[in-house]
Amino acid sequence: MQTYEDNEPIVRIRDYKPDRVDFVLENVDLAFANSFRRVVQADIPTIAVDMVEVEANTTVLPDEFIAHRIGMVPLVSANCDEGIRYTRDCLCLSGCQYCSIELRLDVSCNDNRTMDVTSNHLEVIPPTYTDGETPGDELTKRGEDFGQPVGKNKADVPPVLICKIRKGQELKLRCVAKKGIAKEHAKWSPCSAVAFEYDPYNKLRHTTYWHETDPRTEWPVGENAKEEEAPRDDEVFDFNAKPRKFYFDVETDGSLGPQEVIMKGLAELQTKLANLILGLKEGVDLPTGGDAAEAGVNGHVSAGGWAPQAGGGGWGQNAASGAGYASPAGGGGWSTSGGSGGWGTTSPAQNTGGNTGAWTTSPAQNAGGAPNTTWGTSPAQAWGASSPNAGSGSGWGTSTQQGWGSPTQQASGWNL
Amino acid sequence: MAETSPKIKIMAGAAPDLSAATFQIFDESHTIGNALRWMIMKNPKVEFCGYSVPHPSENLIQLRIQMYDGLSSLNALLEALTNLDAVCETVEHKYHASLATNDYERWEERS
Repeated sequence: MQTYEDNEPIVRIRDYKPDRVDFVLENVDLAFANSFRRVVQADIPTIAVDMVEVEANTTVLPDEFIAHRIGMVPLVSANCDEGIRYTRDCLCLSGCQYCSIELRLDVSCNDNRTMDVTSNHLEVIPPTYTDGETPGDELTKRGEDFGQPVGKNKADVPPVLICKIRKGQELKLRCVAKKGIAKEHAKWSPCSAVAFEYDPYNKLRHTTYWHETDPRTEWPVGENAKEEEAPRDDEVFDFNAKPRKFYFDVETDGSLGPQEVIMKGLAELQTKLANLILGLKEGVDLPTGGDAAEAGVNGHVSAGGWAPQAGGGGWGQNAASGAGYASPAGGGGWSTSGGSGGWGTTSPAQNTGGNTGAWTTSPAQNAGGAPNTTWGTSPAQAWGASSPNAGSGSGWGTSTQQGWGSPTQQASGWNL
Repeated sequence: MAETSPKIKIMAGAAPDLSAATFQIFDESHTIGNALRWMIMKNPKVEFCGYSVPHPSENLIQLRIQMYDGLSSLNALLEALTNLDAVCETVEHKYHASLATNDYERWEERS
């Protein structure tokens, strides 16, 4: 049966405007579509005012009220991946030109009428360099209006109102904008709204509509329903059906363009996956402790293969083994389709009493031997009986000399 | 770098051959958890996969994988990660393709 899962994902952009992109994503699972939505909403870095020093505030609004309002003003953050650092990653103590942007606001009203203090009054203070110093890497990657309030002094973009003041009132403050993500505070979200819909007719019954008499008349279907076939009156409920068409409308607040938001979103998702792969490469810690029986079972595991503390041949982690995780050289990487049994490289089966013959005869474990792709497939060899000799380095150190032709491999820590 | 906390670890009680294991993944949430669970479940060699966020104020997820035939769950996890990465890549390509084919209003995006 041909299911949607056999097809490639489809992206169809329906509308593309300076501040939004409307597209349909097909042939992916709900889980992926939702991950994408979450990442776009909460994990893309932008800059926003994070600290406000109030010098003078004689307006009717209290300081913290104004500070909060200023924090919500969207600032142009295009290319802020490269243009600015997180303060936590910066060498400075609490903010410098590489990890923050300073804005000032100084307004007082001298007329006999109410005056609006808006985001147009926020002035970016350009970074200053001492003589002879060249602007650092970050600074050259910033766009011209990096850090400016979105749409500043543009006639077609109404500014953000911060406060209203009357004659004799004054507002003077210094703001420090920093990079952050919306998981920490929503002001760092590049999106003002992300519309996400699937199954407009509720054929899958993922929701139930509250109704008085008839849900069909009381709940009109949306625009997206035009993309799908209306259910027939006699249609039976298909409980195996899965959502396959997702309607997105990503609307940004102007700090990033929609194109950048989509691309950064996908990149961010990939970064998360890459981090996990990296974490796996570096080695997974096996739990310590546990009951005695379990320790007995696991004992040989930690003595051998992949537990990093075991030293010899922790997969990928043992640089000395000369066989990284992805290296085809064999000898210890667990994805090395080459022999030596991946994880099992230093595993107890080999440890058993240093009996060279025992494991060199086994093709799967020969150094660089048969392409034993899945290292976990041969538990008998990889995880064989935990031998009391496992600890005796010399015991199997000699065996390596015989069994493993390569000197690098024997130097690699079998003797550890 | 000195002592950094691991990104992922295997919890106590894993089968010795790792055919069944619970992975604890730090600093991740439903964003990765659900998509990863789905991708792992697509693997026919996987008997069971589930994830949970044990507590909302702890920034970690737990991912349980059980394999058929004593296969390694770590293998399945890695495979799923690469596949999910490929999905992202494909969506990106398709997005660019869709953008290129249709005629939309153009403007300069500063980036």
